[in-house]
Amino acid sequence: MNRSRTLAHDWFSRPLPSNVVLGERSWLYSSFAFLHYRSVRPWGVRIGHDTGLYHGTFFNLGPDGEVDIGNYCAIVGAIISSNSRVVIKDYTFVAHEVVIADHFASTPPINIKALNEVPVSTVPTKSIVIEENAWIGARSVLLAGAHIGEGAIIGAATVVDFEVPPYSIVAGNPPRSVGKNTPQNQVRDLLKRS
Amino acid sequence: MDERGLAEITGGWDYHTLPKNVQVGEGCYLERKNSMQRYRSVRQPGLKLGNRVKAFTWTEFNIEPSGSLEIGDDTILAGAIFMCAESIKVGKRVVVSYNVTIADCDFHPLDSESRKQDAIANAPQGDRGRRPPLVSRPVVIEDGVWIGIGAIILKGVHIGSGAQVSAGAVVTADVPAGMMVAGNPARIIDEPRNGS
Repeated sequence: MNRSRTLAHDWFSRPLPSNVVLGERSWLYSSFAFLHYRSVRPWGVRIGHDTGLYHGTFFNLGPDGEVDIGNYCAIVGAIISSNSRVVIKDYTFVAHEVVIADHFASTPPINIKALNEVPVSTVPTKSIVIEENAWIGARSVLLAGAHIGEGAIIGAATVVDFEVPPYSIVAGNPPRSVGKNTPQNQVRDLLKRS
Repeated sequence: MDERGLAEITGGWDYHTLPKNVQVGEGCYLERKNSMQRYRSVRQPGLKLGNRVKAFTWTEFNIEPSGSLEIGDDTILAGAIFMCAESIKVGKRVVVSYNVTIADCDFHPLDSESRKQDAIANAPQGDRGRRPPLVSRPVVIEDGVWIGIGAIILKGVHIGSGAQVSAGAVVTADVPAGMMVAGNPARIIDEPRNGS
């Protein structure tokens, strides 16, 4: 577990917030990810081991915001804007320009004295959960109520605020189910039985 | 990173260093200086921000020499990418979320032959003066409109006051006041589908 408060490679001259934990062998591109971070939860952001959080990823959390990211995930530049809870489980891949937010017009909760009148425009909402091994396509938007099942695939630019069953493929706007992504071992078992 | 570098990405830079044809109202917050990197307007004003406008790091004011953009009081721009060749007017108390594009022009011709000329003129060593003329139509977004995450607003669109544009919507036609639209292309929906 990385307990140092700065990243060795960082160009942004601010330390990591004290309630952020980055697991073994995980990579975070910069503390710039916390530009709009003001979580005061015991753990604001928890990142497991062997996870990569690459350029353009942001944690725009309000005071009650909490983000839990598992192991072996790759997040290639998503904006996570929440004053509630976001859970991303192991092996998940989140592509470019994805936004995960409590509310359809979320704006960044900001921590600047002069701007305290700017509201956190999120109403308290349900958690957003991405189960293991899911794949979230580029430019997708996950809103309050989104629950992405294990192994599911969300096509590019899909807006999701509902439960997506495990191993299903959802795409389009408005979104619709476009197929199944049944694991090969399950397919083999089914064939054996028939 | 030095103090000045930090100030230029955290809103603490001197807004008086902006071009003369940019008007900034009282109490504005422009987080990232580079939001103006592709500002090339020669109009008067080329950009007019009302009072207490907040533009966060994801916002870009990409304004062509012929473009003019106006933003009303108390509007919040989280991640508005403006592409302006003629005129975009945004009202008061408007909220524009992340990854939103607002364009009053397609920036390239529809006709394939003209588009080929455009490609040649736009080459790294090309002569930009030989670009075919751009077709633009002004965009108007009235007071109190909310534009959701990742929405795209295209040329000629007029969004009436208090309307809501859902996340991911591609708006190609006018939106009446107070209505909510969603989808690609955006359609009026009876019940707000995404959050709210």
